[in-house]
Amino acid sequence: MSSTLPNSPLTTFVLNTGDGVPGARMALSLHRLDSLLVIWNLVTVGTTDEDGRCPGLITTKAFTPGMYKMRFETGQYWESLGHNSFYPYVEIVFTITNPNERFHLPLLLSRFSYSTYRGS
Amino acid sequence: MSTSRLQHIKDHLLGEYTCAEMAAPYSPLTTHVLNTGMGVPGAHMALSLHRMDPSTSLWNLLTTGTTNDDGRCPGLITRETFTPAVYKMRFETGQYWESLGETSFYPYVEIVFTITDHSQKFHVPLLCSRFSYTTYRGS
Repeated sequence: MSSTLPNSPLTTFVLNTGDGVPGARMALSLHRLDSLLVIWNLVTVGTTDEDGRCPGLITTKAFTPGMYKMRFETGQYWESLGHNSFYPYVEIVFTITNPNERFHLPLLLSRFSYSTYRGS
Repeated sequence: MSTSRLQHIKDHLLGEYTCAEMAAPYSPLTTHVLNTGMGVPGAHMALSLHRMDPSTSLWNLLTTGTTNDDGRCPGLITRETFTPAVYKMRFETGQYWESLGETSFYPYVEIVFTITDHSQKFHVPLLCSRFSYTTYRGS
């Protein structure tokens, strides 16, 4: 994942609310729905940093209107910490109509619960 | 035999049920949809329950239903059918907000969860607004 353009119009932030720490080193991927073929195209793969963030998710140019999916490998994450979890992974599907806005898609996560909201 | 009766038999043979057809009221898996944006139950929301087939990695549709006035959907699954596996609950949240005349950030919500001990009870609620949602494992 390239982070040459730090100001991605789409950002994320993973918080481990179970332990009260950032969700660091969690694998994630961004996908866009190909509306013609009705399949998901992989746009970006990445891993959150020590702060639970993942800069450079997408460029402004690539961020076209459409349906997107962020997939977080939460099961792997908890496993790497020596825990099991209720959710093997988390996928959040969202619609972008105006790509000129900024979108912040955080994931607040414990082993048995998660939350997300549209931020900016 | 009437077409609807044939369809009913076909649905049962294929193992696909609607919540209303489930005879056993005490499903080991329950849900509750809350519209946190408006402070009301998420009533009349379409949803479906799926189980992953481990050999094909495909999702098999188990149940379709609609939440009642209280945001609940009794009879999701029977104890016999509730085998250890990976399940997915899909909530048609986009349709729901549209029926209220609103747009929403999420076209639908899918919650994927793992059941290892199927003798327990599992509550998979969805608290949602137009721009946010939360779920947790209850019992």
